[in-house]
Amino acid sequence: MPEFFRHLWQKWFKPKEELVSFAEVFEHFQALLQDHQRIMELIADLGEKSGGDYIFDRKYLIDMVNDLHALLLRLVKSLNLISGNRYVELYAALDRILLPLEAELRGRLSLPEAMPYVIGFQDAPLDLPELVGGKAEALMEIHRRLKVPVPGGFIVTTRAYRRFIEYNHLDDRIHTLLDPWISGEVEAVQTSRQIQYALLAGVMPPELSREIRREAQIRPFWAVRSSAVGEDSELSFAGLHETFLQVPSLGVPEAVKKVWASLYSPEALNYRRRVGLLAEEAAMAVLCQEVVASRASGVMHSLDLEAPETDCLIIYACRGLGRTVMEGKADLDRFVVERHPPFRLRIQNIAVKKNYRRVAPGGGEEEVAAPPEEWARPALEPQEIQALARWSVILERYFKRPQETEWAVDDAGRIWILQSRRLASPTTIKAPDICETCSSYPILIKDLGAVAHAGVGAGPVFVVTSDQDLERFPDGAVLVTRYTAPWLAPAVPKAAAIVAEQGSPAGHLATIAREFRVPTLVGVENAVALLPQGQEITVDTYNRSIYLGRVSELLRFELIQSAAFEDAPEFRLLRRILKRIAPLNLTDPQDASFTPEGCRSVHDVIRFVHEKAVEELMDLPRFLKRFREARLWTLASDVPIGLKIWDLGGGISPEARGSKVSIEEVRSLPLKSLWEGITQPGVWSTEPVPVDFKGLMASLTRTLGEGLQAPAYAGINLAVVTETYLNLHLKLGYHYNLIDVRMEADPNRNHIYFRFVGGVTDLTRRSRRARLLADILSRFHFKVDIKGDLVLARVLHLPREEMHRRLLAMGQLIGLTRQLDMQLKSDEDVAQFFETFVKRLEPAAGSTSSP
Amino acid sequence: MAQRKLKILILDDEPIVCKRLKPSLEKQGFEVDAFTRSFEAMQAVKDTKYDIIITDLKMEGMDGMRFLQEAKKLHPDSEVIVITGFATMETAKESFKKGVFDFIAKPFNLSEISRVVMRAEAKIRGVQG
Repeated sequence: MPEFFRHLWQKWFKPKEELVSFAEVFEHFQALLQDHQRIMELIADLGEKSGGDYIFDRKYLIDMVNDLHALLLRLVKSLNLISGNRYVELYAALDRILLPLEAELRGRLSLPEAMPYVIGFQDAPLDLPELVGGKAEALMEIHRRLKVPVPGGFIVTTRAYRRFIEYNHLDDRIHTLLDPWISGEVEAVQTSRQIQYALLAGVMPPELSREIRREAQIRPFWAVRSSAVGEDSELSFAGLHETFLQVPSLGVPEAVKKVWASLYSPEALNYRRRVGLLAEEAAMAVLCQEVVASRASGVMHSLDLEAPETDCLIIYACRGLGRTVMEGKADLDRFVVERHPPFRLRIQNIAVKKNYRRVAPGGGEEEVAAPPEEWARPALEPQEIQALARWSVILERYFKRPQETEWAVDDAGRIWILQSRRLASPTTIKAPDICETCSSYPILIKDLGAVAHAGVGAGPVFVVTSDQDLERFPDGAVLVTRYTAPWLAPAVPKAAAIVAEQGSPAGHLATIAREFRVPTLVGVENAVALLPQGQEITVDTYNRSIYLGRVSELLRFELIQSAAFEDAPEFRLLRRILKRIAPLNLTDPQDASFTPEGCRSVHDVIRFVHEKAVEELMDLPRFLKRFREARLWTLASDVPIGLKIWDLGGGISPEARGSKVSIEEVRSLPLKSLWEGITQPGVWSTEPVPVDFKGLMASLTRTLGEGLQAPAYAGINLAVVTETYLNLHLKLGYHYNLIDVRMEADPNRNHIYFRFVGGVTDLTRRSRRARLLADILSRFHFKVDIKGDLVLARVLHLPREEMHRRLLAMGQLIGLTRQLDMQLKSDEDVAQFFETFVKRLEPAAGSTSSP
Repeated sequence: MAQRKLKILILDDEPIVCKRLKPSLEKQGFEVDAFTRSFEAMQAVKDTKYDIIITDLKMEGMDGMRFLQEAKKLHPDSEVIVITGFATMETAKESFKKGVFDFIAKPFNLSEISRVVMRAEAKIRGVQG
């Protein structure tokens, strides 16, 4: 009855909706799918370029973004054509995402106006050294990506510096003062004194000083460090700019000014002239760090530059509070430690330390005498030396260059990293003829695979095949794996290199490897067999070679090169624009933020458009109208789903006649695979089958059949197909299942999206079922999200045979889910069902999942 | 006796190209000079004979084609590898059919260019003997 009224209402009172004809919708839909695909490819392409194997320039980035923009406009237009302009807000979303991105491409130093003057160390955006300066950027990266312990604090950004310059009208003044020095009329010392005087006499703009004071009042004392733009790049040296330790909170604004002024010290001026930076506008951020009340502190060098061939690192340590690097190393302990686990101590020179510095009772610091029995005691315990050595190597592995790292150990024995910068070599080390040296090492693998992240890394082989292996993955090992499944992610930051038998540079693991800068080769056939567990190997992606043993000469050669490609402006720029392009935030179409306004990246936009386009096609009332034009087939099968098939092209044999087709007449690869799973013996059958899973399934079916009046199907079960595509909507009993599959010859185009919700029982049981589904899907390396009783899973970029295996399993899962919520009475049942199901699937899963 | 190292000149106005290509080719045993300005590159080819020249064609404020012609005039047996944007590839091929060893479209990966350089090397060594 209500149905009837709704119908009447629609008929009489609503203006007649302009329904686009089926032929047109079909055309737009196909175009939309193609554009969607093309955009996915561009995103993958950009990701791949960020791996360092390609040489590209800014022009390439601009062209790519222009292409993306044009495609996105067309995509959004297609959706609006299909839906009768129901998604015009998407144009605003595109502007919101693309305009800042394009602005960023236009100029290196064009910082968005919205950037703050002062920002917490935890909240500052990554990959924006133009805002936070090189030193702060480096610390933020290692803290967030590598979980290196770094003291908290805040950053006075370069925008604050510019505001200060502008507020005091210093811009022209600085230029006027610089000119005579540039033309050689006056000495740097004089110019420096004049500019520094002008800066120090400047007044902090009130809003700025307010913000600094607000952050500074949290702690009584601060370490105030320079963080200049470009400071940590190739030719800079320690102590180029000022650092102030133990600054009381009230003194922070003044210390910030002094740090700014150090941008124009004579050394800094000469340095900028030498490296050709004078023409560029200088800018300085200031990092204010919490003071670590340290028991011991010092500096370490990740490589002994005087004897690099010994493969050792050096730790310099003193008792008490640290000094700046510039204060010399005369009375410091010196520990020479091997650069590889277990970090054996080779040499120690213990200094006689009669005095040390500590935090004074009233604040500030004081120098006090040490008791004589402590003079000759090492400042560090053996386990602290080891822990520091480990961090030193981790930092070097990430930055790809020898590191000079300031550290502190607090009273509780915790280690803190205060700053880390490139270790400037006093003389350039002569690179050996690396070509010949390498040729003396046996080659295990040559010219196989694709580069996901470029670089050279060495360590013992550690083959990961299961979660348990993952937990035991040792720091600095080479991760060798058959698959590039997302669950490998936790091992990536610890790996010296990664070699995978499958996967592509556009895949998920590649993305993570790039995040952590781990040299990675994917698609290396037979790697697991060729690389023996525990064997030390060296992976060189530049030559796509894997050597037996540790090629120290090559590793050193890489370390002393001028700059790591990851730090080139083009790469940083690409990383930044990728952040606005690649991440997928909109995963759940049921979520309240699944709207045009909720789109935060290009990926979000295309995900939204794809979902809505499919939804638009599936929208039942509209769809039923379109039915009249669309040719729908009914699948003849013993399984009582009553599946309707809409063939968009190539999904049904041209020989098929009438309105019914058998599965043999279905040409759609994903539907065939899935159906093979659904029709496996015992999955749907209501016949009692005696053994294990079959018995289980049969009894479930029986229980359901007897207990509840479950309809054969409720609503419409519809598959929209092409030869390589399947969009399946199933409403079985009381739950709703959507599966979207693309299964092409090129693995990069492939995906399975799985969405499952609903059920007749209470939420607890439904959640239990959701967990079981998630467990099973994870076993097949799906990325799974659960929200209550909603299960979302996806898997991407698999070759056809792998897709087939998963669809087979998914077909069986559909059979399972049909009745499962009735049966999961306790949490223990979940584990039991999981075991039974997986055991049954194992032959089908075979080598795909775990051993 | 070890073979004489071949000399390579790179000219591209994008510093990133020089910065990345130079060490990579050096690692393969070549002697490499890289330039971002054509007049400096021009000066260099007048002083030195390069076995292989790698150059972009379309650079801001300079003419890669002019540089190429001049360089070829000075040393006709230098092998020239042209790197150029994908969009300008066809025009480049058209106007440089003669005298160019190979073309590579930007962006390219390191193994791509090293394969071409190795082919050029084989040709040079073959000719010399």
